[in-house]
Amino acid sequence: MSSKIMTQKNVPLTTSDTGKIRKKRRDILLLLLPTLVIFIFFFLIPLLFLFINSFKTFDPILGIGESWTLEHYKKFLSDTFYLNVLWRTIKIGLITTFISILISYPVAYYISHSSGRKRNYLTLLILSPLLISMVIRCYGWVILLSKNGLINDTLLRLGIVDKPLTILYTEFSVILGMIHVLFPYMVLSIVGSLERIDSSIINASRNLGANPFKTFFAITLPLSLPGIFAGSVMVFSLTASSFVTPAILGGPQVKVMSYLTYEQVAVILNWPLGAAIGFILVLISTITIVVYSKLLTASKKGVAIQ
Amino acid sequence: MAYLQLKGVVKKFNQVDVVKRLSLDIKKGELISFLGPSGCGKTTTLNMIAGFLDVDGGAIEVEGKPVHLLPPHKRNMGMVFQNYALFPHMTVFENASYGLKLRKVTKSEIHQRVQEALEMVNLEGYEKRYPKELSGGQQQRVALARALVIRPLVLLLDEPLSNLDAKLRQKMREEIVEIQKRVGITTIFVTHDQEEALAISDRIAVMNKGKIEQIDTPENIYNNPQSAFVSQFIGEVNQLEGTVLETNGHASNIRVLGSSFSLPEVNIGKGSNITLFIRPERIRISKTIREDQICYESTLERKMFLGSKTRYILKVENARLIADIGNSELDPATLKEGSTVYATWYSNDLFTSSKEVVS
Repeated sequence: MSSKIMTQKNVPLTTSDTGKIRKKRRDILLLLLPTLVIFIFFFLIPLLFLFINSFKTFDPILGIGESWTLEHYKKFLSDTFYLNVLWRTIKIGLITTFISILISYPVAYYISHSSGRKRNYLTLLILSPLLISMVIRCYGWVILLSKNGLINDTLLRLGIVDKPLTILYTEFSVILGMIHVLFPYMVLSIVGSLERIDSSIINASRNLGANPFKTFFAITLPLSLPGIFAGSVMVFSLTASSFVTPAILGGPQVKVMSYLTYEQVAVILNWPLGAAIGFILVLISTITIVVYSKLLTASKKGVAIQ
Repeated sequence: MAYLQLKGVVKKFNQVDVVKRLSLDIKKGELISFLGPSGCGKTTTLNMIAGFLDVDGGAIEVEGKPVHLLPPHKRNMGMVFQNYALFPHMTVFENASYGLKLRKVTKSEIHQRVQEALEMVNLEGYEKRYPKELSGGQQQRVALARALVIRPLVLLLDEPLSNLDAKLRQKMREEIVEIQKRVGITTIFVTHDQEEALAISDRIAVMNKGKIEQIDTPENIYNNPQSAFVSQFIGEVNQLEGTVLETNGHASNIRVLGSSFSLPEVNIGKGSNITLFIRPERIRISKTIREDQICYESTLERKMFLGSKTRYILKVENARLIADIGNSELDPATLKEGSTVYATWYSNDLFTSSKEVVS
């Protein structure tokens, strides 16, 4: 598709030229090095160990046994309890992402159309949930949502309900807590892509006869898909892998993959099964994101997502 | 008679008038340029016609019907933007058919009209390309096709050539004029490039500080500028400061640069100051005194070879004059820098701007 514009004049390169280019490439690689080192040593290698350990047998004394086995994967995939937890994790991730898009887009649109001091204050306001500790914020929700919390208290006193509603320790409360922390990521990435849309493109659409409503759906929304995608990847993967929020707002009633992993590794001390669960989560998250990006790219060509 | 009329249009930004009671009549099929320096209000005026900016006073009418209160999508004006503003996520065909789809034109007619429009701009076969796969000139053509295919009331071009390189710019401007004449569409062309405006326009509106200084044919704008601004903005000009020594109602005796000459048709008070202009190509150089023309002794300070012509910088007293003389007329090799020559011209090559005469 892009081969036509990539054609450049073939200028013969002298040996000193290729040397220079090689040096330039090396310099650029050097910039990448610090991040690469951290990435390899603190992400790739541990992930590799996780992968390897997930095929080891369980040893009640040492945790990780000596011989190889597939039993952890078999156990996970054949037990509906585990599969339900996996499905719940993905479901919570998808719902959180979807609602985040819905509530973030109008905010992002508003921010991208404001300027100066107003814009700075708005951005700060949006980022404020990130400034508070995850645990404190979650206990804040507990105070609001629990059986004798503020919401139930008010509803009981007003006589709207007879007995307290179960809001806390449900998927709803987990999703609520997740959206609260993660929607700033969505807002900021959508703001970024909305800002990249040239105002003359919007004017061109108006000029050709599209009212503001049609212009939004034909031009603005498709051109902001990359931002929606970037935000979705962040929100989904952070939700699927989060531990504190589901642990506090969901508890044992709403078990998610990270909680399951924690249980196996820290409570039952079955490290290989914990590793297998952790690895399945990484795999499923990656697959979900890839499928999502394929769907978005297929829906609108010409806009580079990724 | 007028097709598009601006009636005392005003635009304010932060209490400052950037367009000041601007009035203009444009005939059907005419190509008018808005020419002026940046900040003169030309693009602002264009945006008011397109509807992207509200007018703060006055009216805009097409065939006698006011349009200035309509939103842009109801005005049916075709605009080509400076950066083309093609929709990056749509193919050439989708870009060009965008306006027609909104007009609920049937599929087969859309197809036919887009095809015609793309043929007109020489882009047949590019329907499935995306804008990023096209060169600047091709993007420009798509933008033009997209604007014309909706058969707009007026075609608005906002510095459409400024992003192209010099050669392509000249080619595109010829194509734009050709297409404009063929379609017969009333067109407003905004530019800051005087050569461009002179080359393509039926009439030029020279704008400065939110006002039209002069609206006229390219020839008249160049040869009979009506204000000091126009004479200086269009082409190059030598400016001479003079004093009126005496006047008899038909002609005045004017003292300029240490000597005096008579100038017909200038009738202003004795002792008052007057500014005179002369184009560089109107000044001639002679090695001897010429009695039949206005003649100044000068020193040839520098000469610059410019291909078909040579530019001579002449020093007369404390002033410098620029003279452009064709090399076939005068061989530059016969004149040495530093030598004494005579700068001569006819009195009717001089012009004053009418505003100065009035004041």
